[in-house]
Amino acid sequence: MAQDSVGLSSDYQFWIQKLSVWKQASTLETQQDTCLYLPQFQEFLRQMYEALKEMDSNTVIERFPTIGQLLAKTCRNPFILAYDESQKILIWCLCCLINKDPQNSGESQLNSWTRGLLSRILAAFRSDIKEVDLFTQGLGYAPADYYPGLLKNMVLSLVSELRENHLNGFNTQSRMAPERVRSLSRVCVPLVTLPDFEPLVEALLTYHGQEPQEVLWPEFFGAVNEAFLLKKICLPVSAVLCLWLRHLPSLEKAVLHLFEKLVSSERNCLRRIECFMKDSLLPEAACHPAIFRVVDEMFRYALLETEGAPEVLAAMQVFTRCFVEALEKENQQPKFALKTYFPYASPSLVMVLLQRPKDIPQGLWHRPLKRISEMLKEIVEDETQGSSGGPFENWFLLAHFGGWADIAAEQLLTSVGDAEPPEALLWLLAFSSSPGDGPQQRAQTMVEVKAVLSHLGRLLRSPTLSAGNLLAAAEESREGDPRPPACQQLTRRLLLNFLLWAPGGRAMARDVITLVSLPFPASCLSLTAQVEDGAD
Amino acid sequence: MDSLLQQLERFSEVLAVSRTTHVSTWDAATVRRALQWARYLRHVHRRFGRHARIRKALERRLQNQWKQEGGSGPAPALGLTNFQALGHCDLLLSLRLLANRALGDAAFHYLLQELFPGPGVPGAEEGTLQGSLALLARRRAAVHMLRSSAYRENPVLQEDSLMKTQAELLLERLQEVGEAHAEGPGRFLSRLWEHLPHNNFLKVTAAALLLPPSSPRHQEEESELGNPRRAGERGRELLHWLLGKSEVIVAFCRNLPAGLLTSVAGRHPEVSRVYLGLLTDWGRHLHYDLQKGIWIGTESQDVPWEELYGRFQSLCQAPPPLKDEVLTTLKSCKAQDGDFEVPGLSIWTDLLLALESGA
Repeated sequence: MAQDSVGLSSDYQFWIQKLSVWKQASTLETQQDTCLYLPQFQEFLRQMYEALKEMDSNTVIERFPTIGQLLAKTCRNPFILAYDESQKILIWCLCCLINKDPQNSGESQLNSWTRGLLSRILAAFRSDIKEVDLFTQGLGYAPADYYPGLLKNMVLSLVSELRENHLNGFNTQSRMAPERVRSLSRVCVPLVTLPDFEPLVEALLTYHGQEPQEVLWPEFFGAVNEAFLLKKICLPVSAVLCLWLRHLPSLEKAVLHLFEKLVSSERNCLRRIECFMKDSLLPEAACHPAIFRVVDEMFRYALLETEGAPEVLAAMQVFTRCFVEALEKENQQPKFALKTYFPYASPSLVMVLLQRPKDIPQGLWHRPLKRISEMLKEIVEDETQGSSGGPFENWFLLAHFGGWADIAAEQLLTSVGDAEPPEALLWLLAFSSSPGDGPQQRAQTMVEVKAVLSHLGRLLRSPTLSAGNLLAAAEESREGDPRPPACQQLTRRLLLNFLLWAPGGRAMARDVITLVSLPFPASCLSLTAQVEDGAD
Repeated sequence: MDSLLQQLERFSEVLAVSRTTHVSTWDAATVRRALQWARYLRHVHRRFGRHARIRKALERRLQNQWKQEGGSGPAPALGLTNFQALGHCDLLLSLRLLANRALGDAAFHYLLQELFPGPGVPGAEEGTLQGSLALLARRRAAVHMLRSSAYRENPVLQEDSLMKTQAELLLERLQEVGEAHAEGPGRFLSRLWEHLPHNNFLKVTAAALLLPPSSPRHQEEESELGNPRRAGERGRELLHWLLGKSEVIVAFCRNLPAGLLTSVAGRHPEVSRVYLGLLTDWGRHLHYDLQKGIWIGTESQDVPWEELYGRFQSLCQAPPPLKDEVLTTLKSCKAQDGDFEVPGLSIWTDLLLALESGA
């Protein structure tokens, strides 16, 4: 407690000084400075209130003799009053100063002074123009009646001035001067969360002046982005798109915010991830290649940093799926060539990957799978082809469209025990689980997988099929040695797929899952969901 | 129903008193009761908002005050004037009490506790009084900031936000007054004319006559009741009064800027007729001074040539029906004077010559 009050005292000094410099925030510098400190000052006000509410008004004066100055200066700064909840907290602080039963003239005076200040914030507004006041009074209206309407009209007027600039390209008279637009964006910083201001914020975001450099104030973008991420403002996609295109840090923050949300929630089923993803508006915005590239880069870094963490991989796959959906919804004819989205990949490969499996009859899935496998094999194993990127790039591309690897696994398992598993599918699976392998290692993996498949096939036909047997088949290698970890992941994945697709597999799903306690690879997230859904 | 109306009356009294020094006798208990009453009426508003019959009965009672003849002073001591106001009557009461210096310290302290309970009030903050009051303070700051930084008075007067807001308020009030009493609007407007600064009043009147046909604010509120209030109807009462009072229409045409009058005349043919009549009248008061070679008036209130020319010029820039009407009038006046082509003999000739060369 004592420590808190010491901290509060030094903060107090800091803020009183700041407020003295800011005064009424009428100059450019004071406005800029005020806007930078708005959240911190609000926090300070909150702490002050927590301290003040425990005291009676005499103690308050003892403890903070200059409290009157602090509160009065705050009242005079419209930027602070306009921000978020600051005006409310300020009123709470003032309420703490009111003495229920003043005993002497000093206390009465304090009461009177405080009441005056409260009145000023709340009740005694004047529109600065005497005639307007007289008129509205004459009609019998109080300011509280007409202020909302006045604000609406002012906002509409400004919005139409901003929009006019588009139409009156050559009419220099009606064009809003860049300095005014800038000043308007500054004024909006504390007010982005006020619903009346939404049209103005939107108009500013979509405003394109004649000047080559950005005319809006950078903190404006930051404030809008914050409000948007915290869902304190409702903006159409077109406005958010403008925001992100004009201010890169906002886009990056939005992606990071999404990552945080995905990582922090405990169990994320696919549907929830998809919900968060669509909510963030990132897939829709990514239809613009510049945005797609930035988001893609961030996914790439995230994967590299976390060494292929399953959560990141799953998020990226959901993102890609939502992105493709948005692209298709937007227009039949894509506005931008595929190469602008995936500049390092072979266009024909991208075309095949973009196909949606559910658009293709299941019986024909092997065709695109074979093509994908062959194309990738050619690119990856041909070392002279430098232009299409190394194995990581291609793996990264494939990882976007994780569904294909899943389908490959599915195909292998539905036909387990029948014919020889096709080499193309084996190669694809092996590549997707460890892209860095050399040709020999990969060949070995493929052999291992073939063995597991045949083992599973045998089990299927045997009468002693049980959860335990299945696990054993998955864990043991052909020679009884423990498999390399990448291989282990792959076999576990195959096991899950087996549970899903092989006849009789689902019956044992629950048992197997309870027995298994080790983490599953990323694409299995979706499979786990399906198994749980299906098993019910 | 009767008890409801009684409650309404009593609360209106309370609301009226809340602005006077009489509140010095109020203690915390009185404040509490007043606030409770307000909350009750707010509940009534919510409950009976869609109940046309009850709503109408309540409104009729509230509009009674308009029927009182000759209100003292410029501003009616208004409290609740329509059903909508019931929706925020607690806000109205609270603001009046907050601003009233006569309220005792103990009662004031209680009031603050009720209005601002502090944090930890979960859920719909906007619905609470605390939320509404904070929002009001926030909006006030917003208006202040816009006005001091980015806002410019719109040169097109009828599109200026302050003007538009005043105009909307005027029409709204006229609507209520008109519903209470058929003669209401005329008397109300006359009283305003007597007590308010003329210049602003005339500008607001012009702006009101130029408001777009449907006010969106009212559409959403009233459309549910199946009683759409069109600005066109409300404007008509205003227009009727304006044209009926010669002193007002003369001041209207004389003092308002040419462009504004042209817009009004373009929209309301009755105004254009009167306006042209006045202009021709003013023109006839000027005579030609041979020495100086200009048209001048004899009395100080005569409209000078430049102004006359300016107004005609503005009218000639208006779209067809008005423009043609103006030219026809000028030409017929010129014909009446003898149809001279030489300058200096008929003001109408000179005007037409100047307009042609200036155009």
